[in-house]
Amino acid sequence: MKGIEGLKAWQAAIQEQRDPDATWIAVCAGTGCLSQGAADLAAALREALIRHSLEGKVEVKETGCRGFCEQGPLIVIHPEGIFYPQLKAADAERIVSETILRKQVIEDLLYQDPVTGRRHIHEGDIPFYQKQMRLVCRLNGVIDPTHIGDYIVHGGYQAAAKALFEMEPVQIVEEIKRSGLRGRGGGGFPAGVKWESCRNAHGEPKYVICNADAGDPGAFMDRSLLEGNPHSIIEGMIIGAYAIGSHEGYVYVRNEYPLAVRNLQTAIERAEAHNLLGDNILESGFDFHLKINRGGGAFVCGESTALMASIEGRVGEPRAKYVHTVESGLWNKPTNLNNVETWANVPLVIEHGADWFSAIGTETSKGTKVFSLVGHVNNTGLVEVPMGITLREVMFDIGGGVRGGRHFKAVQTGGPSGGTIIVDTTGAARPAEDRDEHERGPALVPESLIDLPVDFESLTEAGSMMGSGGMIVMDETTCMVDVARYFLNFLTEESCGKCTPCREGIRNMLAILERICDGRGQEGDIDLLQEMSDTVADTSLCALGGTAPNPVLSTIRYFRPEYEAHIRDRRCPAGVCTALIEYSINATKCTGCHACFKACPTDAISGEVKAAHVISTAKCVKCGSCLDVCKFDAVVKQ
Amino acid sequence: MPTLTIDGQTVEVEEGKTILEAAEQLGIEIPTLCHHPLLEAYGACRICTVEMQRGKRVRMVTACNHPAQEGIEVQTRSPRVLRHRRMIVELELGRCADLPVLRKLADDLGIDRSRFGTGEHECILCGLCVRTCWELVGARAISFANRGTDREVTTPYHEFSDACIGCGACVAICPTGVLKMEDIKGRKVIHSELTLGPQRAIRIPFMQAVPNAPFIDPDECAHFTTGECKVCAKVCPRDAVDHQMEDQFEEIEVGTILVATGHDVIDCSEMLRYGYGLYDNVITGLEFEKLSHATSPTGGKILMSNGEPPKSVAILHCIGSRDENYKEYCSRVCCMYSLKFAHLVREKTGAEVYELYIDMRSAGKGYEEFYKRNLEEDVVFIRGKGSEITTWPEAPGEEGKLVVKCEDTLLGTVRRLPVDMVILSPALQARADAAKVAQTFGLGCSRDGFFLEQHPKLGPVQTASDGIFIAGTCQGPKDIPDSVAQGAAAAANILSLVDRGSVVIEPITSVVEETTCGGCRLCISVCPYDAARFDEEKKVSVVDEAVCKGCGTCVAVCPSGAAQQRFFADTEIMAEIDGLLAEIGDRHQFPA
Amino acid sequence: MAQFEPRIVAFLCRWCSYTGADLAGTSRLKYPPNVLPIRVMCSGRVDPTFVVNAFRKGADGVLICGCHPGDCHYNEGNYNMMRRFPLVRKLLAQFGVEPERVRLEWVSASEGDRYAEVVAEFTDEIRKLGPLEWAPMMAPPPVQTAESVVTAK
Repeated sequence: MKGIEGLKAWQAAIQEQRDPDATWIAVCAGTGCLSQGAADLAAALREALIRHSLEGKVEVKETGCRGFCEQGPLIVIHPEGIFYPQLKAADAERIVSETILRKQVIEDLLYQDPVTGRRHIHEGDIPFYQKQMRLVCRLNGVIDPTHIGDYIVHGGYQAAAKALFEMEPVQIVEEIKRSGLRGRGGGGFPAGVKWESCRNAHGEPKYVICNADAGDPGAFMDRSLLEGNPHSIIEGMIIGAYAIGSHEGYVYVRNEYPLAVRNLQTAIERAEAHNLLGDNILESGFDFHLKINRGGGAFVCGESTALMASIEGRVGEPRAKYVHTVESGLWNKPTNLNNVETWANVPLVIEHGADWFSAIGTETSKGTKVFSLVGHVNNTGLVEVPMGITLREVMFDIGGGVRGGRHFKAVQTGGPSGGTIIVDTTGAARPAEDRDEHERGPALVPESLIDLPVDFESLTEAGSMMGSGGMIVMDETTCMVDVARYFLNFLTEESCGKCTPCREGIRNMLAILERICDGRGQEGDIDLLQEMSDTVADTSLCALGGTAPNPVLSTIRYFRPEYEAHIRDRRCPAGVCTALIEYSINATKCTGCHACFKACPTDAISGEVKAAHVISTAKCVKCGSCLDVCKFDAVVKQ
Repeated sequence: MPTLTIDGQTVEVEEGKTILEAAEQLGIEIPTLCHHPLLEAYGACRICTVEMQRGKRVRMVTACNHPAQEGIEVQTRSPRVLRHRRMIVELELGRCADLPVLRKLADDLGIDRSRFGTGEHECILCGLCVRTCWELVGARAISFANRGTDREVTTPYHEFSDACIGCGACVAICPTGVLKMEDIKGRKVIHSELTLGPQRAIRIPFMQAVPNAPFIDPDECAHFTTGECKVCAKVCPRDAVDHQMEDQFEEIEVGTILVATGHDVIDCSEMLRYGYGLYDNVITGLEFEKLSHATSPTGGKILMSNGEPPKSVAILHCIGSRDENYKEYCSRVCCMYSLKFAHLVREKTGAEVYELYIDMRSAGKGYEEFYKRNLEEDVVFIRGKGSEITTWPEAPGEEGKLVVKCEDTLLGTVRRLPVDMVILSPALQARADAAKVAQTFGLGCSRDGFFLEQHPKLGPVQTASDGIFIAGTCQGPKDIPDSVAQGAAAAANILSLVDRGSVVIEPITSVVEETTCGGCRLCISVCPYDAARFDEEKKVSVVDEAVCKGCGTCVAVCPSGAAQQRFFADTEIMAEIDGLLAEIGDRHQFPA
Repeated sequence: MAQFEPRIVAFLCRWCSYTGADLAGTSRLKYPPNVLPIRVMCSGRVDPTFVVNAFRKGADGVLICGCHPGDCHYNEGNYNMMRRFPLVRKLLAQFGVEPERVRLEWVSASEGDRYAEVVAEFTDEIRKLGPLEWAPMMAPPPVQTAESVVTAK
């Protein structure tokens, strides 16, 4: 195969084979849907098709993640685009016999909007997808990642071919610079500038690396991209390597993502087999070899220098970056590292041009950003939105607001080192029952940071960061001290331990947070935390330590009264910290149903049937079982 | 040459220097924990954090690894720097409360006690040991394991690692003392250490060595074990260390050779009954010599393996010498050095000394007098060879002792001597490769394996090969005065040859008679010296008489009788035969 | 009858065997006086005609001694002798001389005792063989010569 013509001819040949009106079923086979039974569903669908003698006529395609993980397992029936969420294997027969054979939409399988109650047939009609701008993720859920033909038929590798045959390397760097594409891994460094520095750096060979280590709790954008559309990353890396003058690339992906590793491996093999990777790509004379390097799953290996150390076979520890990795990176050679999403954006920029790309987003942040929207939100999943969209739009329009009608409290972005952004200052300090009914729900969130635009600068200014795109929504049942404690616990374990402030600082900050949560907080602890944060942030070796105090600082900044309540009143306003809460039974509400008596694992509840029950605080282990079983709201947690 | 400002002082430094080095140049001290000038900057302890301003941007950077760049302004004691430094030291103290190295830093910064942690750790995780092992030694035996608060320095899986070469560099560099030599594999107890244990790889062979210069022992040197290290080259101010040097084979043309290859000592561990190698305090004479030497690991103190001085010592003569099972000959030197040891032990420790001898052989100038002096120093002389050493007690007072069994031939009784230390006097023997050396130089060996002199009285340093001489114990056991005398004699012989400038050859060379030579070239094929060559013009063989050594083989093979050897001509030998057998008359004669 | 005392001619290499013999002497070792040594520079010098001539002149045995293999002062002279020796024996057999009457032995300069042993043993063996009697077939035709005429008288 040679040049763009060869690629286009291949694309045309595949297109010719395929009937555009043919019926096929896209089964989401992202890790989220697989964990909910997508594999069984696909098998059931195939069996049903065989029963109806439709094998070979209707194809069942297992695609990458469609993003709406909340509703998995889900399928889309093409060409009509009928969207069925939350299916079971038992639904397969109905789907085949009614929708496939008789072209009838099954009403009760359709998605129902939890707010309006309306049912939607097409994916695009659902609010979750309406405000999204799926560019990077556009082929996720459409193509089978293990079939290179699926990617080719959608114009795959044509951007790479364009770069190789129609553009000079300098021109490509210029285009990327002009597009305003910034690194999606967290720092937001302009990709074009990085490429240029690496291109101009002295030393051979040069390396390009794709950082696919993304290990933030609750963040899975990069994994989904690798699983669902690995070719787009390979294509981006070919373009980048050509622009930089590199012939060797690595994808550093953690071994805990077996599907991602497998799909990427398959993609690399297929690309190599079709002369899209390896020596003399598309007979352009350009060589590029790509290898997968599987990481052991240390969070710190997402840090570029630690990642390179890991590839080199050394302990994954960061080193000082006073000499940048673009000049001296992997094996002390110029190295350009970008994360998965950044690489996946590259073919888009080259294909559509810098002007097209820079038209999306804000002044300083261009393009789209993929977030994994998780936590106490109705629609959890993977969302891709244009830069500059407000938090409100992401959380309420796309996310569908807080789950269970609870009050919205905060959103945390940027992974464990990111910050927690307050949304409602009033709700934080007050117990839930003090609030009026009308204050509940998303519509009543007061004017505050909820209208913060999502871009690099705004988030940093608000005490958080873009990070790699985790977005954790928290409701009123979340204790902010506990949140800080949770993240610091994670960071204590994931700190590589090389430098003192990070290893010892975070550990001791965690100890202080733990004692606050335990009700042993002391006056001055908040100041001490801030003092320690200052040193840890200022003197840590790498960004892990440098940003580690963010969860503490931002929660103190916005939820100081909550800290004070823990320390001074020995009270956890959100009722999370078990040492600070007490369960009791409201005698007037208690009907003496005896349900809590049976549920209590420690026999802490006493009382005769039909008489008010009492909880013995001495025996109570605060498991909350009584609260869960009480049908009369008689159990009080405070 | 970048110029920068540190604490208001301007300094110009070489390209590639760090802020720390620039500060050193100014005499400004920046505290460090994980830094060492021989190791690559690591930047882990962060104690050296300073405030750096470039343009308008102020950053906290570590002085140890941040390049000293043009135009930067550095503050090493600003309030912000001191605040962070205090906090870091406090955090370190929270980890390791009682380390002197931290205590000193804390005192300098006015920290009384840490607000954090319990300080139960001993290791500050500075990584100096790990980096030494990797960067300098190159053994890569230890590393960090685990991450975060579980981080620790260890060998793989906490097992003793074969990669450890036992060099002890990690212990030497550890600022906390948590690493101890006992933890390192291959640590030998005191006596074994004399011969086997880790030695300094760079050393002067012994005090009186000539030249008195250190050498690198490639068997001990980390560089030759691992390919790394080269610390010595880095610290040598004269650049005198060269690791590239290799053993070279040099061909030197000489006129004479003196073979003085010395002797070996019999391996006492072969003689199981003496328990050498089994009992720590049974040592050989040479080991005692090293032990009592001022440069020994004990500083010349005579100590047992437990570090205590012995209360009684037995010295056993003739171990392998004068013994039909091993060496029949007398090793000549043992009696006298054993007397010296007895004297040293008496003088240094006052211990009871037993000398177990077959015969006292103190022939030599002043030797008998020294023997007498020992007698007066209350050394106990027992005439009888030590037959066995055991630790099996049979009587009170023998527990925990080495019991030497012997027959006291003067008392006519078998004795058991409980002692703390036994010194064996092993036989001197020809070197293991003596036969090979002999073949190389055309020497002979006597039955005991030592090199054979030309004549015991008339040619004591000459050998069967012209120009090759022998001296010292390669010729036979002898003491230092005899060796020196023999060496001097050999030197004199050699010098007389050198002075003459020419070599006299024996006139016993072969000649080829031109007229009878048939040109068969058989002589050429057998000549070991290529002395015979073929004259193409005359079609006859010609012998170069300067090259010919006179073996006469060519004469023996010559079919025409053209080749003849002077003084050993066929006719001459025939005449000799005739002469020898002439008196027989015709009794057996071949019928004529 | 007095015991038969054989005459043995020994060719001794100058470096090893002759020195060895010398050592036997200086060591005051006892060995039979039947051996008549001839010093050659090397056992390689020993021409088979020497052996034949020795027998011809009335020797009862011939002993050739050289350095041990590998120890030759001239590197390989003793090897040459070693190769030649079987031929010497064959040759003698053709003349009717028992091949046992000639022997090749290695004796080094330090092996005085070995030299003594070799000589004693070889002498003993030759003694058992008895005097060398040339086979009648080897007798020359009865030609009258001046010498024989004189003898006949």
